Amino acid sequence: MRELVAIGLPAAFAVRLLTIAATMLLVRRAQTCRWTSMLGSIAASILTMTVALTVITTGQPVAGLLMRHVASSIVFDYAVTPLSAWFLMVLGLIGIPIAVYSIAYFAHAIAAPRTALVGSAFNVLLGSVEAVFVANGIITFLCAWEVMTLATAALVATEHQELASRGAAFLYLVMSHVGTGCLVVGFLVLAAHAGSLSFPDLLSGEVVSGTLRQGVFLLFFVGFGVKAGVIPMHVWLPEAHPAAPSSVSALMSAVLITAGIYGLYRFCGFGLGVPDQRWALAFMIVGMLSAILGVLYALTQTDLKRLLAYSTIENSGIIVLGLGAAMMALAHRQPILAAVAVAASLMHVLNHGVFKGLLFLGAGSVVMATGTRDVEHMGGLLKRMPKTGLYFLIGALAISGVPMLNGFPSEWLTFQALLLGFTSTPGVVRLAFPIAAGLLALTSALAATCFVRAFGISFLALPRSTAAAGARESPMLMLAPQAWLAALCLVLGLFPGAVLRALEGVVVSLPGLRTAAPMTAGALGMAPALSAFDRVVPGVFAIVVLGALIAAALLTAFRKTAMRRAPTWACGGVLTARTEYTATAFSKPLLMIFESIYRPMRQVDAVTEVSPYYPAEVRYREQIEPTFERYLYTPLVRLVMRGAKGMRVLQAGSLHTYLAYVLVLAVILLVWLGGTT
Amino acid sequence: MIPDVLLATGAALLQAGGMLAVAPLLKTLIKKMKARLQNRQGPPLWQGYYDLAKLLRKEPVRSETASWVFVAGPRVYFAAAVAATTLVPVLIAAAPLEAAGGILLLVGTLALGRFALATAALDTGSPFGGMGASRDMTIAALAEPALLLGLFASALAVGTMNLGALVRTLLEQEPAWHPSDFLAFAGLFIIVIAETGRIPVDNPATHLELTMIHEAMVLEYSGPDLALVEWASAVKELLYLTLLANLFMPIGIALRAEPVALAIALVAWAGKVFLLAVAVTVVESTNAKLRLFRVPELVSVSLGLAFLALAIRFL
Repeated sequence: MRELVAIGLPAAFAVRLLTIAATMLLVRRAQTCRWTSMLGSIAASILTMTVALTVITTGQPVAGLLMRHVASSIVFDYAVTPLSAWFLMVLGLIGIPIAVYSIAYFAHAIAAPRTALVGSAFNVLLGSVEAVFVANGIITFLCAWEVMTLATAALVATEHQELASRGAAFLYLVMSHVGTGCLVVGFLVLAAHAGSLSFPDLLSGEVVSGTLRQGVFLLFFVGFGVKAGVIPMHVWLPEAHPAAPSSVSALMSAVLITAGIYGLYRFCGFGLGVPDQRWALAFMIVGMLSAILGVLYALTQTDLKRLLAYSTIENSGIIVLGLGAAMMALAHRQPILAAVAVAASLMHVLNHGVFKGLLFLGAGSVVMATGTRDVEHMGGLLKRMPKTGLYFLIGALAISGVPMLNGFPSEWLTFQALLLGFTSTPGVVRLAFPIAAGLLALTSALAATCFVRAFGISFLALPRSTAAAGARESPMLMLAPQAWLAALCLVLGLFPGAVLRALEGVVVSLPGLRTAAPMTAGALGMAPALSAFDRVVPGVFAIVVLGALIAAALLTAFRKTAMRRAPTWACGGVLTARTEYTATAFSKPLLMIFESIYRPMRQVDAVTEVSPYYPAEVRYREQIEPTFERYLYTPLVRLVMRGAKGMRVLQAGSLHTYLAYVLVLAVILLVWLGGTT
Repeated sequence: MIPDVLLATGAALLQAGGMLAVAPLLKTLIKKMKARLQNRQGPPLWQGYYDLAKLLRKEPVRSETASWVFVAGPRVYFAAAVAATTLVPVLIAAAPLEAAGGILLLVGTLALGRFALATAALDTGSPFGGMGASRDMTIAALAEPALLLGLFASALAVGTMNLGALVRTLLEQEPAWHPSDFLAFAGLFIIVIAETGRIPVDNPATHLELTMIHEAMVLEYSGPDLALVEWASAVKELLYLTLLANLFMPIGIALRAEPVALAIALVAWAGKVFLLAVAVTVVESTNAKLRLFRVPELVSVSLGLAFLALAIRFL
């Protein structure tokens, strides 16, 4: 077993490379190509998951060598620490059903000649994310990071004949590279001070200090924050995630953002020594902002995939909020509290991955069946796609943080961390905790509203378009992965104690964290701090709810009269899809209540023919202000453009001038070096 | 181990059954007191039971457009409300299922019921259902943080999130009211009004299209389906009033399951809930319903009170 684990990761990478090669060779045979690429991906994911699960259960890191370049003495080595293993496990758990789904989905969504490209990009993406999680040195990490960015960009631009897709891919590339630039600078500073390129040397926590430490933190924060999609570095996310094919969107939302989260953990939270209180506060503020604004923007979307993308920002915010709480605890030397917060945050990584993967796959099925992403053109789909509808409903309940599903345990743990933080942190800064708890409560309640709307408007009542009326259920290969993820939502929600037990080893492997007692309560429940403070056993509570459901069934069983069907009362008229409540109307009250955040712009035009009292047509347009784009990014872009225009003076296009630059540079360098030696 | 499980099951069954039995009475009582304040006779006190019995026997009429979600809605709503009663201490200073969870599980369970009912309301295609669901979820979204912060304020003062342990600690302590208790109580009272659909937030007696919230959401229900919704709403109201009574006035609650102590606890509980019911009635009779877009102001007052309660307790 040990030997198998030791070669598991190189073997997984080898399988990926072979799969990519095979996919490329099969370019002319779309179907074989699809099966090959996805089955290869599944095989590789199973291998990485085996390694990850072994590391999580034994707590022993697995390390090894991938490649050594003797001439340049560059080493590509890997190390699966428990933290890496957790992220690797989540990636595999969600990557496998997504790959199964893609076998059937790509047949409909991707033009045959592009299958090879998309199939291999899918493998490149998964392989590079795996490499990011296990990289043990700067070179490996940055190579994997860059390949990950490029593979994602290629997948976002799958529909490259569409202007929107090209724009999304471009925006993603630009923002990612600004982030990567920050990372490169940060890593170079660390490497220069440590005199090494390997992570154990760089992340000992004592490499840099003072202002330099603050600077490196800021660089990593921005660099990884872009990938994690937290506000204000989020603007690429709602463009890029919906543009990609749905199964890739699922992959991006469920696991790609965790690459950013992993970076924030490894390098900001636990790589630069004991965190500063200011860093913790910055994380908490960014987390809260992302959570609340993410869900508020999600609420008003009518594009189903955009809605899910904004909700990814929300959940990323909750994860970062947990990490911020942990850093605050570490800054105040509270190792036990920090352990609770880290457990909350890491558990949400898993739970969000599962339900968001499920929801994106469901959205993919719906979009495939109706040909639209606009919920205002859906409706009545539950009767036409009963299984997809059921799975989507389970995902919607889970993401709303309802007990007995998997959104609840991690939000519950986050609340624990925030409440314990409030009681055990000294000073005024503790008020950040109840504010965060209040905002988290608001976020989860708004998420419930958002997903009642998303499910209700798209799946219930009458179809709102002919396309929706003619929708057909997805094939088996697309339903099975959704069923699997829906079942996971239930299992993870009913037995969070089992997850927490596995997580405990990961938590205590991080520097500075400690648990006083097991965080679990019995086999099924959670009691992270002290059993007396709070505990929850959803599995037992589920029995009570089930009992109450049976009671309700019995109560209604006594009548002797049969059920009767009748048309819905439509105030004397005929009920049509036009009289149904729309998604826009559903979120309108909240739009008006949070007007100062949305700053909506409305335009109502009445087209009249005979008299102004009888409009032939009323046109209604509403738009919410893209605050961050307008007030942060537009000025920034303008600044960069002005700078670039200024630089144009240097680019004269004449060879003589360029030679002169080289000469001047050489002279300066000679003078400078001569002065130092 | 097994006797413990049996004991908890028995207590849970008794408590849930008791709450179910009393809830319709509370609803009629408020109706009756309201009628008296308006110089009307009002319904007899048993009217709530008559209504439920009649509704349960009637044939359910369901929309042709609706799916299974419409049928599931009231059942999940009912189950959530009934299950929630087992998490709250009523007569004894222990909740039957306090080992399963505390405040967060309670609020989450009520959110589950609301999710189910609001989703089901969208199923018939009736614009009223959509309107009701939208408004109900909007108000709930604003009320939930205030509810949680208010409960946190009292829970953190004692150092436990478990409602049973919370009441036990309160009983063991010297009875002393901290200023923050008054703030938290005021904040929670506003939320109870909002969550139970009472004036000034919602009007339970109206069926006017433009003003109804909860009633619009359940407009399409009839017969046993409607009975479940009505009953669950009554249980929810009783649950909220019990919570307020036992968290802020833990007088008379039995520490052990002894006949005399239980009898005293029953009287004390009935008295406290009655007092709160009078307060709800007076508020409902002396106020006008607020415009929908004024409700957020009311709720933010409650949010502010809860936050202040937390702040003055700990700073």
